[in-house]
Amino acid sequence: MATLARTQAVVVTDRRRPGPDLFLTAAMVALSGLGLLMVYTASRPLLTLQGDDPQGLVRRQLIFVGIGLVCFVVSSVIDYRLLKTLVPAGYIISVLALVAVLFTSPVNGARSWFQLGFVQIQPSEIGKVAIILTLAAVLAPAHTRGLSWRRLLLAVLLAAIPMALIFRQPDFGTMVVWGFITLIMLYAGGTSIRQFLLLTASAIAGGWALFQARVLADYQMTRLTSFLDPTADLQQAGWNRLQSELAIGSGELFGKGLFHGTQTELSYVPSQPTDFIFTAVGEQLGFVGAGLVLVLFLVIVWRLLVIAARARDAFGGLIAVGVAAFIVVHTFVNVGMTIGIMPVTGLPLPFMSYGGSFYVTTAIALGLAHSVWRRRTPVPGNRFLD
Amino acid sequence: MVTPSAEETRPRTSRPGWRLVMLTGLFLIMFFLLFTRLWFIQVAAGKTYQTQASRQTVYQVSTQAPRGEIRDREGRLLATSRFVPAILVDRKQLPTDRVEDVQQQLSTMLDIPPDEIADAFETGGPRITIAEVDAETAYRVMERRRQLPGVVVELVPARVYPEGDVLAHVLGHIGRPSEEDVAERPDIDPNVIIGKAGVERTYDEFLQGDQGTVSYRINARNQVIRELRELPPTQGDTIYLTIDLEIQRELEEVLEGVIDLSNEVKATAEDEYFLHTTERAAGIVLDPKTGEVLAMASYPDFDPSVFVGGLSQNEFEGLNESQAFNNLVIQGEYAPASTFKAVGYVTALEEQMWPEDVTIPGPDGTVECDGRIEFPFGDGSQEVLYDWYYPDAYGSLDLHTSLARSCNIYFWKVALRIWRDYKGTERENLLQDWAREMGFGSTSGIDLPFEHDGLVPDRALFEDLAAEGVIRNTGWQGGDLMNMAVGQGFMLSTPLQLANAYASIVNGGVVWKPHVVQAIRDASGTEVLSNDAEVVRRLDIDPATVSMFRQDLTLIPSIGTARGAFADFGPGLEQVGGKTGTTKGTDTRDPTALFVGVAPVDDPRYVVVLVVEEGGNGGRVAAPGVRRILQSLVGNIPTELVPGEESD
Repeated sequence: MATLARTQAVVVTDRRRPGPDLFLTAAMVALSGLGLLMVYTASRPLLTLQGDDPQGLVRRQLIFVGIGLVCFVVSSVIDYRLLKTLVPAGYIISVLALVAVLFTSPVNGARSWFQLGFVQIQPSEIGKVAIILTLAAVLAPAHTRGLSWRRLLLAVLLAAIPMALIFRQPDFGTMVVWGFITLIMLYAGGTSIRQFLLLTASAIAGGWALFQARVLADYQMTRLTSFLDPTADLQQAGWNRLQSELAIGSGELFGKGLFHGTQTELSYVPSQPTDFIFTAVGEQLGFVGAGLVLVLFLVIVWRLLVIAARARDAFGGLIAVGVAAFIVVHTFVNVGMTIGIMPVTGLPLPFMSYGGSFYVTTAIALGLAHSVWRRRTPVPGNRFLD
Repeated sequence: MVTPSAEETRPRTSRPGWRLVMLTGLFLIMFFLLFTRLWFIQVAAGKTYQTQASRQTVYQVSTQAPRGEIRDREGRLLATSRFVPAILVDRKQLPTDRVEDVQQQLSTMLDIPPDEIADAFETGGPRITIAEVDAETAYRVMERRRQLPGVVVELVPARVYPEGDVLAHVLGHIGRPSEEDVAERPDIDPNVIIGKAGVERTYDEFLQGDQGTVSYRINARNQVIRELRELPPTQGDTIYLTIDLEIQRELEEVLEGVIDLSNEVKATAEDEYFLHTTERAAGIVLDPKTGEVLAMASYPDFDPSVFVGGLSQNEFEGLNESQAFNNLVIQGEYAPASTFKAVGYVTALEEQMWPEDVTIPGPDGTVECDGRIEFPFGDGSQEVLYDWYYPDAYGSLDLHTSLARSCNIYFWKVALRIWRDYKGTERENLLQDWAREMGFGSTSGIDLPFEHDGLVPDRALFEDLAAEGVIRNTGWQGGDLMNMAVGQGFMLSTPLQLANAYASIVNGGVVWKPHVVQAIRDASGTEVLSNDAEVVRRLDIDPATVSMFRQDLTLIPSIGTARGAFADFGPGLEQVGGKTGTTKGTDTRDPTALFVGVAPVDDPRYVVVLVVEEGGNGGRVAAPGVRRILQSLVGNIPTELVPGEESD
């Protein structure tokens, strides 16, 4: 009883609003700044060659970063617990958007974008926030009482519907991201080993069936198989990987210096400002720069896990876990792709790749986790994950 | 979102904190993997990557795509591509200080003048095709590889025409683009082979195919380290012609036959004097139901494959002089002579323009065809015109028999009637209007290049020509219209226009756009282009006129001016129609022989036009040729080419 009295005293006395997480914010700002610099170095040569404004792309990205930071601040300020009531609506809107996008005309073979005048919106990006919140809301009550099969299947079903829609676009990479986030959140949400094994078995069976049914588009198959045997295919997919690896490798320890990346300069690496932005880092700034980027991501992930551990409630904790999974899978697949340990799937690198929808989504997701941090319980011993 | 259930009361089964530790471990392993790999490629193996990268640039060359095939309507092969060795020079692999030496060696080995090779170097880009060679030369060059840096022997696609000179003018030929070609099509690669004439030209973009590329990794000294990737070229599409190779062969044989026949007649003629030996002839078989060209030939011809390896200046000039490259079917312009009476025939019926002294106005009214016609001019003078059969006389002929006997007087009088009724008004061009409606005086739009317009004379033309000083300024006179009515004077038509005009009458009034290509299919067999029958214009012509004309056409081979030529036609002669034509000879030119054949007249499937340039008389020389083609078309046994009787 004495302990209780003490803690209550703390609750009463320590009511000031916790400040921002400086590590998290600083890492995000640093990555965004470095991203802008890299987008500029990577887009300048080609834009100059085409006679366009060499700063055209980086200017747009600057606007995206600005919007993203505002979104980050706003979602940090909003009490994440208020969002719980909005979850069903948010989820339904996301699914409807994913259905609607299937009726647009395809860009590069995929129906992933809404063209709205000068901006393009990718519903599968914004939807990531919705699925993280949805799974957090569904799994949170189980935290104290264990996860029933019913609840687990509901969570899987809620995740599977939008994933199937994304698969229809087709956007294999984004589907993998959703899958990873779902798995991690299910695990954190208390799925038992038995449940997990059964789920995994049925997922493998399902995947094998898809493979057999040849549902994957040809270019997706080529990309995947090219990863399995890079020497077999020197055509586009393998070529991208080879050039990207070569560019990063040639950066060596300290890099070739800004604007001295020959591979980058000569447009050897494809999609340089977007999917292959990490090659620009690797080539120009070397292992030191590329390592720094990874460390910054590691800082963000570390902070997210701390937020998860110290969240006021299971809902908040699961949000932080989901956002961590989101950042990790993007970083791992994207960087892994550029250094030849993952297939070329076209996933952008958080905070650094050129692109608006993705930047804003990442910022909102991080902002939500940050909101969880700012409302963490000041009471030791009453935490979510202890 | 979730309704409370039994689970709410269940005890905690696992400790979530442990799960977070596991996740932290998983994430750390993932980042560890990235760090390790990054360390490996940037630090441990960085030097290798560094050297490889600094050494590399990618060098890409284009490889020529084999041209698409050309086949006849039954799928018989007329043009294809096969691979032959060629000598190429790869500038990247040829050190600058060796250029001159290599040029000289190549000149000697390939027997090509040094300046031609230097020219090729000048214009050829990074990879120059010097020449296509035979296997022996290719081996000799390969043996000397060490002395010839940058010289590559490679298999390149070459054009093959398995049927030789058959259908040469329709197929056309290929060659390097000239400056005009490049100006016309700025997107073409000047090193690529393009179609220069015929179908090869019109449908070049389909036949081209897509060039392939080969990428090489080369070092800073431009030495090829290895091949990176090869995108093989795709062969062009396959073209299916409307041409029937069997009819085509028959037509070409007949062309040579009638030229011989014409020269035979010229040599044995007793009462006539001829200026030249006959050298040129043109023929076409057209389907009047669709405008499809079943056969088209022009003589003299050439073998399109002579262009494949390049043609020497002398060879080219020789062929050019003889007009072998000209497709006379669409480029030869001849006075249609009496074949043009078809237009007067239709005009008379449709416009009710009967000779003034006809017994009853209508096709059955007669005029005296006694060989001469006198008519006064407004200024009091009088003109006498003599018909071709003068001093014989035919007596009274109506429209039907005038066509059968090719009586000029009847058609002169039709022209005279038009002149007297409508001179100076809009309707003075009745005859010209009908001619133009049928396609005379303008290109037919056939899918072959360089088609000529022909000429339909009228008052406006004469005024223009007089203004330019080409003719004396006498104005457009009734005599000019009369001349035109019998297809002489300034009236000019290509054999194709003539065939198309007859087709438009006998098929009931449809002027088709003639075409030689039926369909184009890509490698997978998908149709990429389908030339369906296309109507240019519909004539406002009475069905009664059509059937009357078809019937009257049958008079010519049976009792009319082609009686002799069709004597041994065999069964079914009653279904064959035709019209003879003979242009007037001049001081410098022999008469040109023409014949238009139509069969079967009840439901015409073939219109055949044969023109023997300066070949003599239509009934005597051209009609037997058409007879022979029609014999094989209707399934009769073709009989020998012998001269028919003299006619107009």
